[in-house]
Amino acid sequence: MRTPRLLVLGSTLLVLLAACTSSGGASSAPSAAASAEATAAESSAPASAEPASAAALPPIRIGSDNFYESKLMGEIYAQVLEANGYTVERKFGLGSRQERIPTMDAGQIDLVPEYVGSGLGFYDKTKISGDGQANAAALQAAIASKGLTVLGISPGQDTNAFVVRKDTSDNLKLTKMSDLAAVQDQLKWGLPSDCDTNPLCSGALKDYGITYPPKQRSALGACDVPMATALQGKAIDLAELCSTQPAIVQFGFVTLEDDKHTQPAENIAPIVRDDYLAKVDKTAFAALLDAASAKMTTDELTKLGVEVAVNQKDVAEVAKTWLTAQGLVK
Amino acid sequence: MQDIVNFFLDPTHWQGDTGIPNRLLEHLVISGAAILAATLIAIPIGLYIGHTNRGAGLAINLANIGRAVPSYAMMVIPLPFTLSLAPVLGYSPTFGLNFLPVFLAMTFLAIPPLLVSTYAGLRSVDRDLVEAGRGMGLRERQILNGIELPLASSIIIGGFRTATLQVIATATIGAILAGGGLGRFIFDGLNQGLAGRASIYAGAILVSALAIGVDLVLALVQRRLTPIALRTTATRGRRGSARLPSGDDGAELPASA
Repeated sequence: MRTPRLLVLGSTLLVLLAACTSSGGASSAPSAAASAEATAAESSAPASAEPASAAALPPIRIGSDNFYESKLMGEIYAQVLEANGYTVERKFGLGSRQERIPTMDAGQIDLVPEYVGSGLGFYDKTKISGDGQANAAALQAAIASKGLTVLGISPGQDTNAFVVRKDTSDNLKLTKMSDLAAVQDQLKWGLPSDCDTNPLCSGALKDYGITYPPKQRSALGACDVPMATALQGKAIDLAELCSTQPAIVQFGFVTLEDDKHTQPAENIAPIVRDDYLAKVDKTAFAALLDAASAKMTTDELTKLGVEVAVNQKDVAEVAKTWLTAQGLVK
Repeated sequence: MQDIVNFFLDPTHWQGDTGIPNRLLEHLVISGAAILAATLIAIPIGLYIGHTNRGAGLAINLANIGRAVPSYAMMVIPLPFTLSLAPVLGYSPTFGLNFLPVFLAMTFLAIPPLLVSTYAGLRSVDRDLVEAGRGMGLRERQILNGIELPLASSIIIGGFRTATLQVIATATIGAILAGGGLGRFIFDGLNQGLAGRASIYAGAILVSALAIGVDLVLALVQRRLTPIALRTTATRGRRGSARLPSGDDGAELPASA
């Protein structure tokens, strides 16, 4: 563990030094669009042609955090690019955001999947909203100066979800969060124990007119296996899970629609280093990944999660099957 | 430091379902139930394998699984079963969530030290004494009750102390499964970031105090149960001068001394 950290540190320093020495020049213009146009003009010939030989396209290093969903998204980006002639070096499992961000800032990876809500929260928690596009724009503003670009977001997101069993949903006509207040006393609530002090939990519930705390509540970890098991086993009737948690598909739970957008939007988008984008046709490159992102709904992401996390299938295989089914690769 | 003191001084922390007295009671109930169940399982088996010296390897190795598997896993693995059995056996699913799995995990945690100490206690009894008892015409049960058990009692209670200490300390994690007990202070504190620090420390202090307090009481019991002749010496008990029970009545001699 020590050596890589030292490497990261060392290379961060090197990059900082390099940045300092070159900051006088106009090369680090923040206007990504302008530089993209320039790049496109310069290199439109090779990139807009048929997927050229690998030699024509600079190899790209794709990273991911150390959990299955991040690896899966990284693998999907990787295969889309590979199918279009790019050479990909996979550097998955870089740890958590705290470790991965310095790695990327140091220039050791070129592209990484990121959740726009939590990713923005790393820089400024106060700017997180329930709107994915707004989060992406704010994240872009926060990291533009680092030479990073946020590409298009997926409609799917992995955020906090309040979930009930199918039978509860049917019996009490529950489909969205606004339906909860009327039946709150008939439910046994599974809530994390920090809910009292967490505006995204007790605050959000109060926004929906729910009297907090509910009469019957069990303190369980949000997104934890025991929370999902307890819901399935009817020890609780409502659980706070993650919206792409495999248990939702496995047990046929119903996710209540967050109709007031109280939860942070956590759509997923690739973040790319500008110095890599400068070497390729940015528009064409972004179009490839945006097409894949556009197909990734919360449902799809959850189903793929079941394949990887529950059925223990190989991430590369799951990504390939999905991309083929979506017509994104042949 | 001051905020920990304030935590204990805050009267709201001493009232109601979420107050210290109720959490302490919950902690004692789940720990006590688990230790009782473990005692009922481990001591008879321990006495059997100790007296007969048969099946000891198998029993002890089986029991040690309870020690080898992390208690968290021991709790979460039976959870689906304790929940799905609720309608079948007629207990509430909540009981199957926040009591039964924790109870099972704590029972499995308490069995190994109890079993091993009972076995070791019985095996530590001088074989000559057992043979002498046999020579005097004592039946096997009389040998067990009158000779082996009294001489082994101090080692057995030693195992009981270990088991109790472990269970009280570990029952803390029952809070993960929405359980009560003193673990709530720790887990709720952990979930509150910096603001929860006092709660974490207070919970840890309470759990340690409870574990140490109960252990001290058991230490006194252990001393009382140790035959007088063995008291000041090491608990090995290989002493010819040990006061010997002499027949049926003798069974009570050491304990009442």
